[in-house]
Amino acid sequence: MSDSEISNAYWPRSPRQTQLKPLARRLDTLRGKTVAQLWDYVFRGDEVFALLEEGLKDRYPDIKWVSWKEFGATHGNEEHEVLASIPQRFKELGVDAAISGMGA
Amino acid sequence: MLRASAVCEEAGIPTSTLVCEGFLGLAAAASQGQGVPNIPVAMVPGHTGVQSKEQLRENILGVTLGNVLNNLLEAPAEGKLEDEPSARDIVATGTLDEINEYFLTHNLSDGLPIIPPTDERVAAFLRYTDRKPDEVLGILLPDCRAATIWSIAVNGVMAGCRPEYMPVLVALIEAMSDPYYGNEHSGNTPGGETLILLNGPIAKELGFNYTQGVMRDGFQANTSIGRFWRLYLRNIAGFLPHGNDKATFGNTFRVVVPENEDVCAKLGWAPNSTDFGFKAGTNTITASRYTGGNHISSISGSTPEDLMPYIADSMQKLHSWHFLFTVGAECGGTLRPLMFLSPILAETFAAAGWNKQHIKQKLWEMARVPAWHMERVSRDWTQKPSWNLAYEVSMGRMPKVYHESDDPNRLVPIVWHADDYMIVVTGDLGRNSGYIFAHNGVLGYPTAREIKLPKNWKTLRASAAKPDSGSPTTKGKRKNGTSS
Repeated sequence: MSDSEISNAYWPRSPRQTQLKPLARRLDTLRGKTVAQLWDYVFRGDEVFALLEEGLKDRYPDIKWVSWKEFGATHGNEEHEVLASIPQRFKELGVDAAISGMGA
Repeated sequence: MLRASAVCEEAGIPTSTLVCEGFLGLAAAASQGQGVPNIPVAMVPGHTGVQSKEQLRENILGVTLGNVLNNLLEAPAEGKLEDEPSARDIVATGTLDEINEYFLTHNLSDGLPIIPPTDERVAAFLRYTDRKPDEVLGILLPDCRAATIWSIAVNGVMAGCRPEYMPVLVALIEAMSDPYYGNEHSGNTPGGETLILLNGPIAKELGFNYTQGVMRDGFQANTSIGRFWRLYLRNIAGFLPHGNDKATFGNTFRVVVPENEDVCAKLGWAPNSTDFGFKAGTNTITASRYTGGNHISSISGSTPEDLMPYIADSMQKLHSWHFLFTVGAECGGTLRPLMFLSPILAETFAAAGWNKQHIKQKLWEMARVPAWHMERVSRDWTQKPSWNLAYEVSMGRMPKVYHESDDPNRLVPIVWHADDYMIVVTGDLGRNSGYIFAHNGVLGYPTAREIKLPKNWKTLRASAAKPDSGSPTTKGKRKNGTSS
């Protein structure tokens, strides 16, 4: 095309295939609740989860934790398998909330 | 990690996602693709990797903990996905300069001028495939966009490809869409870049360079198809720097590297495509990701015994953090280093009766590191959990060769099996050098596809030299207010 020729150019993307999804209802309290830890095995998540447990111990003494060790890495070889198993595993473990780290 | 949080939210479980400060932009971009733009995150100040235990404690208890509580107990704001054009919208009308300006300012190009994807040009590409334009090859994360034949043609035009490259482009996006390849990791910290290998007679037919300077730009097929891959990663998968692409440094795109199958045939060596189950002579692409590589200059000697020590030493020295892909439950056993051998080196090996398999086996035996070093890199230097070779072997998660004794000085291979090595003959016909690539394991696992030519390929190729009258596709509609 010459410098002055006028052209019409298509959008080079394709539409997103996801719709807006509602988030889960938040909890009223963490008292007596079971909180799962999900970790992708990077950025010292093991230490971070230990600190969060420590920080919530006094305020919510009866909070129950399900360790990241229960689930396997949420990143890497096992990601697809681990993520697919989460809904059922949470039901079995009675999980009320989850903290997922580290990174994005 | 946002994908895990999205799964939980969909299952009715409220989440808090822990995000280091520098990753907040990535979290915002990724949440759009997951359809949960309002998913709450808890910031971890700074980066945990450089903080003392005291600093980490102060940051988590002083900042992150409060965010976590808010995330789990307070209802987030309403979410809204960004408005976007439709698949066949015309988004820019104008001169070459005006269209390029539009594509640049709307993050639709890679910074180089693009060829405007007009109706006529896209139609020319679509003629080189038997597949329907709306066929979906896969959904690409993190943007969750459909990888369609149409979008392949559009981005192929933009990259400066020729229409006859279309079958190669389709095969590439089939590989990109394969979960085995792990395309969703293309924006991660190490910033590895895909290398595309090409096998089969199509290398000659389309004019690829496969001899001297094979990794240089300057050859349209090699260069434009390499650029196409990166454009597609940006425009369809959504890996934009400062957004979903969180490479610390990154790499520019790599040009396509074909194997020199003339040399392979002369030596009786199997081409790379056969390692992936294809018959020799099949047109294929193989995509895999590497953070970098290094030239092994002037590999000298007249026998394999002369040549191997230098090659194995270079192989071992290039690998460090990559042991992440050797050790452990997360990614263990996925390291696939690649080596280019120049033709006269291949001839030297072959003269002694060696083939690629012999070299792979010898690399496995010779490219080794002390066990204590592999554990130290993984556990102490890069702060990964459960890095103990004896433990991993006892759990059945690694081959026994990694714990044949308790001697910390025992030498262990950098890959699990000899076949994990990939060897490709290419480059300058008259030089005795090699090139090694440090592979990124599951973050771009080697994935091959056959390049399927359209039924009328020969007719199309015969007419390619003639002036092209073109046959426009269904005309696109203008998106209001988006023209330049």
